Amino acid sequence: MPAGAVVPRMLAAWMVAMPFLFLLDNTLIFWFDWPGTRHFLVHLGLFSENRSFPPLNDPQLRLGWIQWMVSLSVCLVISAAVVQGHGRDLRQDAVLYSRMAAFITRAAFWGVLLVGITDMLISFLRIEGMLSVIVGEHLTTQLGRSIFRGTYVHFPLILVAILITAFTRTLGFIWLALLIVAAEFLIVLTRFVFSYEQAFMGDLVRFWYAGLFLFASAYTLLHDGHVRVDVFYTNFSKRGKALTNAIGSLLLGLPLCWCILVYGMSGKGSIINSPLLSFEISQSGFGMYTKYLMAAYLLVFAVSMAIQFVGFILSNLADFRESSWSRETVNPET
Amino acid sequence: MELVFLGVLILLMIIALSSGFPVAFALPGSAIGSIGLAAVCGYLWTGDPGAYFAQDGPVQWLTAGITNFRSLYWEVERDTLIAIPLFVFMGIMLQRSKIAEDLLVAMAQLFGPVPGGLGISVVFVGALLAATTGILGATVIAMGLISLPAMLRNNYSKPLATGTICASGTLGQIIPPSIVLIILADQLANAADQARTIRTSEYKDSTGEFSMPAELDITSASAGDMFMGALIPGIILVVLYMLYILVRAVLKPGTAPPVPYAGQYDRQFVANIAISLIPPLALIFAVLGSIVMGVATVNQAGAIGAVGAIVMGGYRLAEHRKHRYTPLIIVVLSVTGILLFLQLFDLNVKNITSQRDFIGVLCAAMAVIACLGAIVWSTWRTFVIENTLVSVMIDTAKTTSMVFIILIGAAMLTAAFRGFGGEHLVREFLTGLPGGFWTQFLVVMLVIFLLGFFLDFIEIAVVVVPIVAPILLADPSANVTAVWLGVMVGLNIQTSFLTPPFGFALFYLRGVAPRAIKTTHIYKGAIAFIVLQLAGLAIAGYFPGLVNYMPNRTYLTSDNAPPPVNPRLQYCIEERVFPEYAREKTVILAGIDRIRNQDFSGLPDTYRDSLVNSFVLAEKTFDLAGHAVSANSELEHYEAQYKPLHQGMRQLKNQLSGMDTRKALMERKKDRLSRTPQTTSEQIEAMELEIFELEREQASLMEKIPANWDTAKARYDELYALANHAKVTYRRNADAAYEPLQTIRALLHDTENVRRFRPAMEELGPVLESGSGAGTIMERFRRVESSLNELTGTTEIRTMLSKARRALKGDTPDFQAAGEFYRQSRVLLDDEIRWRDEALPLLGDLNAYNDLIKGNIGIRLQDRLTTDQAKDIAACRSAHRDVSLRF
Repeated sequence: MPAGAVVPRMLAAWMVAMPFLFLLDNTLIFWFDWPGTRHFLVHLGLFSENRSFPPLNDPQLRLGWIQWMVSLSVCLVISAAVVQGHGRDLRQDAVLYSRMAAFITRAAFWGVLLVGITDMLISFLRIEGMLSVIVGEHLTTQLGRSIFRGTYVHFPLILVAILITAFTRTLGFIWLALLIVAAEFLIVLTRFVFSYEQAFMGDLVRFWYAGLFLFASAYTLLHDGHVRVDVFYTNFSKRGKALTNAIGSLLLGLPLCWCILVYGMSGKGSIINSPLLSFEISQSGFGMYTKYLMAAYLLVFAVSMAIQFVGFILSNLADFRESSWSRETVNPET
Repeated sequence: MELVFLGVLILLMIIALSSGFPVAFALPGSAIGSIGLAAVCGYLWTGDPGAYFAQDGPVQWLTAGITNFRSLYWEVERDTLIAIPLFVFMGIMLQRSKIAEDLLVAMAQLFGPVPGGLGISVVFVGALLAATTGILGATVIAMGLISLPAMLRNNYSKPLATGTICASGTLGQIIPPSIVLIILADQLANAADQARTIRTSEYKDSTGEFSMPAELDITSASAGDMFMGALIPGIILVVLYMLYILVRAVLKPGTAPPVPYAGQYDRQFVANIAISLIPPLALIFAVLGSIVMGVATVNQAGAIGAVGAIVMGGYRLAEHRKHRYTPLIIVVLSVTGILLFLQLFDLNVKNITSQRDFIGVLCAAMAVIACLGAIVWSTWRTFVIENTLVSVMIDTAKTTSMVFIILIGAAMLTAAFRGFGGEHLVREFLTGLPGGFWTQFLVVMLVIFLLGFFLDFIEIAVVVVPIVAPILLADPSANVTAVWLGVMVGLNIQTSFLTPPFGFALFYLRGVAPRAIKTTHIYKGAIAFIVLQLAGLAIAGYFPGLVNYMPNRTYLTSDNAPPPVNPRLQYCIEERVFPEYAREKTVILAGIDRIRNQDFSGLPDTYRDSLVNSFVLAEKTFDLAGHAVSANSELEHYEAQYKPLHQGMRQLKNQLSGMDTRKALMERKKDRLSRTPQTTSEQIEAMELEIFELEREQASLMEKIPANWDTAKARYDELYALANHAKVTYRRNADAAYEPLQTIRALLHDTENVRRFRPAMEELGPVLESGSGAGTIMERFRRVESSLNELTGTTEIRTMLSKARRALKGDTPDFQAAGEFYRQSRVLLDDEIRWRDEALPLLGDLNAYNDLIKGNIGIRLQDRLTTDQAKDIAACRSAHRDVSLRF
């Protein structure tokens, strides 16, 4: 067992924790009007920026302290856990992170499945005027508002999806491939046979198709499915390949994920935040009310990829180390 | 300075790509890296992070990158990309369930005994089935594994065998349905939008008018267009390949010997061949056919393909099970049933009006349920047998993700490239080349060819096409269509993949070929196919009609075809109609004379006058058309001498405007410099000097403008205005000559309906006098009014009725006035019926007259083009027309 695995494991753990802390921060700022870590640090003078922030009042300052303490303690707990588990090697952590990424994409799949089917049914009943017969006038009007439908239909379903995720072990998202075929074929049947076509049917296909390739990306990376220019790569040694993958993930992959998170969520009007906050829906009128969730796909992509990249770095680092010893020692297993 | 960072971007990209890190992340990663680097350097040296960008700053460009990223699935315009997972699913399902392999084996058995037959069947299968996977490596490897051993076993010459496999493996890339064509279409549609902007602004610069006429617009490309555009060139290539193999087999029988079939030619053989050949071919033709006929969108065709593949997988996998073919039979029967019901009934569920409709919908619903049941059954089989469905879904997810993340990454790269002014640089370089469009085109093609050694199809399509395509499409002198450009790029990359020593296909085949095959064999084998490929490229390049005709034809014959009055069609309509006038003049004039001698006195005055007048106008058509032709030929005559002058001037203008942009950039930078505190006065002076130099250069260029330019241009404008005026006059006259005929025919056609309407009107009288409430009466009136809407020429009657109704409005309904208005409306109706009845015998003559002129004088006012006209006009629109003189 190599020494010194604690440092890369520690760094990796922090890199994995960061997106979650960032999301927490972002949620608190934009959904609950907290001041946010950055604002708080600028206020304390620990951090300077050319943008000027208004000074914080007392209750806000308290919230800022709480938030800052939470972030710090999360970092501490993680660090402690890493030190505690010093017997673990890089590969074990890599597997852990891959599982985390898989968990996220699986949860996203179940969420998309439940929300997609439910919202399609609601949209169908609504456009055919049958919704008010089933749930009454009042609820029908409410369901016609995207904020209501998001808060009282989609969010509970997403919670259910997370619960299901905890008790299932399948990949999940691959079924979206079949679901897209089914949803598009449904359009073919109803359109050509019964001359019936509505906006929500196309929305359903779009909703699932965007999920398919964004959720599948982490898995594709894990199974080396992303295409490479292998003019030189094929001739690299195992060591060289591992090094390429680790450095590439660090310098090329992770910045992309962070770029999406930071610039997609920098303000109220940013391209991830703004549709989410306003529960944006498509322009087609009687379509599904799920467009705002498609903005959150970018989050699923960025976070699952960020974690998967960290796992990828660790496993390649492990490859790199092993192939380094195998040069020095005859039998690396002992 | 931004050019340094453009260099950094390209360098980073080369390093990142060649390191072998996944392309999908190497592209955006290097973009983000270079933007970050530029921002840091800018901040350190000038205090402004945006200093080293051509315009805007790092935050804007990164945000733009992410916005591009999101737009991939956010914008409805990019929906065609949805077809990719569908076609990938179809292709992988066909491969996994061994349908593809069966097809190859069956073809080999069938064609084997012919000289070169095995090679020919490899080409055929490659063209059909490799198409769907779209990733070159997978295709060539699969073909290499399946067919190379068979060919070698049968003593095919090694170069010929390897060449055939490489070539037909790459062929799949451009034969529809292929995903690279969908990606090209997506990128080209975007490029066409940008080209339109460029062209519009050029038009504004040269004429001062803000809106560009639609006939000068750029023809965009949808995925369906790309499929159809690539169809004929693809078939040409297939035929070329097959002919080559056949000719070689005949000339040198040793290189491609016939392969005798060992078994018996019995019923079993026929059944085997039929079951492995017919379903896949039927599926491919159903998918392509529905697109070509304009019935289904590409996405819908993809869903049909995927479901079809599931059904086929269902019986192929259930080889030794009971009811092997039952689901297939159910599907075939129910689909036949549905098609039958569609013919027999009106199946619109939103419009069930009669018992018959209801029965029809019920029958169709049962057929649909049977069909769905069989599909679910097949899906279940693929799920339980060898876990095929899961592996297909995994591969579909992986392939789709790989393709799309590259698209996304490239969007980010394009943002960075623009940020550093790369687009402007490329544009200036290309437009500065001597020789106009064709030099630009050749340079671009050469660059793409070279890139094809290192990058796969998708990467080239998403990295290079967005940068160069807008420039090439905007050029008004070649005025090429986006489809043509896409097909040429596709053929070019495909050739590049075949070219030693770097060609991709050759590498992949080397990887799976047995030791006995030397690399030189593969190289040697490729050469002949490269020649064929270049021949195909030259044919498609020289005859753009081969590419453009199919998309045009489908567009013009489809349900949403533009009406003939659409300004974009006028040029081609007149190309068709003017010769017809010259040819058929006497016949048409005789027809006009015949109709003129009829007695129209029974018609109401206004109708009669306009109709009689229209005959005079119809006679004038010939003179006006002749005038338009002669004005146009005068214009064309002048164009010949004006063109060289205009070309020189355009080049000069391009240089001048390029300098303008550069000057504006410098001014902006000077502004920014002067605002940052670190700047010294020397720096500013240096900038000013540079700007001054540029201005002087501009002034010296201005002097090169030929002295006769202004008069020459004025003369051209004048002639153009004359020709245009002549055409517009002709069109107005033709419309005026046809419209009255159209109106009166519609009126007379409705005679029977108007007559049938009388009872409903008569019923209103008693209702009015019945003494029931004003509300009910008004309601009755309103219903009658709305049913009048469907009858032509009854506006006055309706006005009268609504006057009667309105008299009943309010607290004191005026029944007397209402009665009076009602009476008047009855009189009007009676008059209407009388004159129409009297004039009805004229309808036959009017129809005969209409048949005579509806294809020429009246063509513009038809609802849609006939198939014949559409074919003709599609052919005319398929040629690229030089419109540069208008700019």
